[in-house]
Amino acid sequence: MDAENMLREVQPLVGEVVPIRSVQETRPVEDYADAYVAEVNVKTASKVIKALDSAFPRDSSHPLNHLRRFAKHNQIPESLRPALLKEGYLPSQTIFVLVPSPLPAPEALQTLLAPFVPPPRETPLPQTPTAGPSLPSTPAPPPAAAETTTPATSNITLHTITVPMQPPLTPTQAEHWSSKMWPVVFNPAAPRALIAPPPQILSRVRDAIAPKAGRYLALAQAVAAQAERSGLGRGVGAVVVDPELEPVPENSTEGAEEGSSWTDAIVAVAGDGRYSRREGGNPAQAEIAGGSGPSPHCGTYNADWEGGPELHALMRAVELISSKRREDKPGSRRQKIRPVLYGLEEYFLRKSDVPLSSAETGAGVAEEEETEDAVAPPPEKYQKTTETEAHAIHLHHHKEAEEQKVDADGGGDGGGGAGGVGPRIRSREQGGYLCNDLDVYLSHEPCICCCMGLLLSRFRAVIFPRRGRMVSGGLASEPVVKPVPVEAGSDHPVETAEGGTDDASTKNREYYGLHWRKELNWRALGFEFVAAGESEATSAETGVAFHA
Amino acid sequence: MAVPARMDSRHAYFMKQALIMGEKALETGETPVGCVLVYNNKIVGSGMNDTNKSMNGTRHAEFIAIEQMLENHPRTLLHSTDLYVTVEPCIMCASALRQYQIRTVYFGCGNDRFGGTGSILSLHSDLSIDPPYVVHGGLFREEAIMLLRRFYIQENENAPKPRPKKHRELKTSFQNSVPGSQSSSPTI
Repeated sequence: MDAENMLREVQPLVGEVVPIRSVQETRPVEDYADAYVAEVNVKTASKVIKALDSAFPRDSSHPLNHLRRFAKHNQIPESLRPALLKEGYLPSQTIFVLVPSPLPAPEALQTLLAPFVPPPRETPLPQTPTAGPSLPSTPAPPPAAAETTTPATSNITLHTITVPMQPPLTPTQAEHWSSKMWPVVFNPAAPRALIAPPPQILSRVRDAIAPKAGRYLALAQAVAAQAERSGLGRGVGAVVVDPELEPVPENSTEGAEEGSSWTDAIVAVAGDGRYSRREGGNPAQAEIAGGSGPSPHCGTYNADWEGGPELHALMRAVELISSKRREDKPGSRRQKIRPVLYGLEEYFLRKSDVPLSSAETGAGVAEEEETEDAVAPPPEKYQKTTETEAHAIHLHHHKEAEEQKVDADGGGDGGGGAGGVGPRIRSREQGGYLCNDLDVYLSHEPCICCCMGLLLSRFRAVIFPRRGRMVSGGLASEPVVKPVPVEAGSDHPVETAEGGTDDASTKNREYYGLHWRKELNWRALGFEFVAAGESEATSAETGVAFHA
Repeated sequence: MAVPARMDSRHAYFMKQALIMGEKALETGETPVGCVLVYNNKIVGSGMNDTNKSMNGTRHAEFIAIEQMLENHPRTLLHSTDLYVTVEPCIMCASALRQYQIRTVYFGCGNDRFGGTGSILSLHSDLSIDPPYVVHGGLFREEAIMLLRRFYIQENENAPKPRPKKHRELKTSFQNSVPGSQSSSPTI
């Protein structure tokens, strides 16, 4: 069956696109550290901040903006009151300043804060004077001083408390910390930057990909089936989409029902090819097996028959795109080492040979392409295509949102609507770079190697069906669980999923959540596609364990 | 898993070959990471980073070396092959090496951005469907770091928006610990 017919027969999966939580969310690190608290004259508060900031610059990698710098008397958590409020000043007289890590030397801090000591008490408590050279946390007052009522102590007393070093993930957590440790601010946007994708971006991308995700994933499965049938690989497939080529939703829903115009934004597909490589002059596994039909190795896992991760679907897709960026000549050495294996791969590569040469052509050209263009047609043909206004608006929006694209488009950008449309896969000269801003749809959860490969390739997002989870996978961040209210229980507001499944006896895989880890330089949005009426029994996680 | 204090000249020789590959990478504008695969005291594959030239962010030295080795040897040879690489394998390569069932990995400096054998993840020893492998860090660590420093004071002309780095100076001092890796520098 030729590619066009296969594409026509792709039936979209039905289901829902669900963000994969980050490991920072599923396994929050509650990181605490000591901090000093000092009681200072409330009228000098702003001077205190200036003095502190100039003497002890903050660590910009840990700005600790979630910790309030001052706490009023009534904001002091119950448990700290006996220690902090025992001096007996009035709330109108003093306020408490927090000095978090990196902690300065206590002596230096006391000297710095000395000018800001509280004023004389308005209603001094005779029993608790603290004059004298007492040490910070042990203000054992000399009994003889009990009578003196004068000026407050010239010493600043430093109290050591414990504060949370990570911003709160939820308002509930912020409240909890504020009531137990120190007043904490919840900022819904900023503090999550490394913890999890900003919610607005996550939901915007999810909304954008949701309408077509089922189709792309169904195509990934069709590619997978082609790979398996050929005997050259396992049944794993990848579809790479350039969201910039996506027609506006209104248009696509009309056209999507028929033909293959729904594939307009696809820049490459690739199937697994792990049995296709010759090693050390020996025939490839597929050649040894002979003939077509699925490889006999598919039913088991023996590492020596598995080729290598560079033959996995994701890695092959990355290489196909790279070969376009490099503008490889046919028959080059690289093409011999990494050949194009499948008909669907060939189809999309050829489609990407067609430069969308002018601003007048958009992504909406493929309706014609589908009918007759098995071979790359001359670009002039497309200049006649009438532009749909909606499409121009779409690109225009996109450019506003991501100005960097303007650079990448190079000098050909004439402005005015859909400017700067180059070929579907831009070459190096045209500003193409790795897999920047592309989305990849996979039939299975990719192995750890491929997960990192997709981050290093700078994909924007990765999507796979939950049924395609693999014990060797690198994206899932938690076991599949029944929905649990995330913020239930004020004590541990973000602890939910792992319960009961993490102990060694039942653990059969790691949950790396590699798509969004704060330690890594590169991050991608990760989504699972949960098919309607899905049952866990059908999961690839319980099937043959291999690296997808 | 530190390298034995009296690191024999064999390890030193192969790591120097890896450093030479890293040096080549630097000369051609690639991130200077180099490696060699050693089977039976012979180099059966060598590689350097090739991501810029190939426009493929997954073309790390380890993959190049394995690809080269597989031109002449079957994959099973990797079971008794050791890797010498100037920088701790990244997460991608650490997983690939496990899938290929490498025997031992010797690396120069740790990789606290991407390291997959101790710095960020420990893919050589984590639960997996493939057997674990042994890792030794810290061989010619300072040489490996200097290669990287010489690279990173340059601007990345391949990036869409290179960061200006005019005011950077080449640092030549070292801290004593290997960040994130299991071992400290051996005396060589």
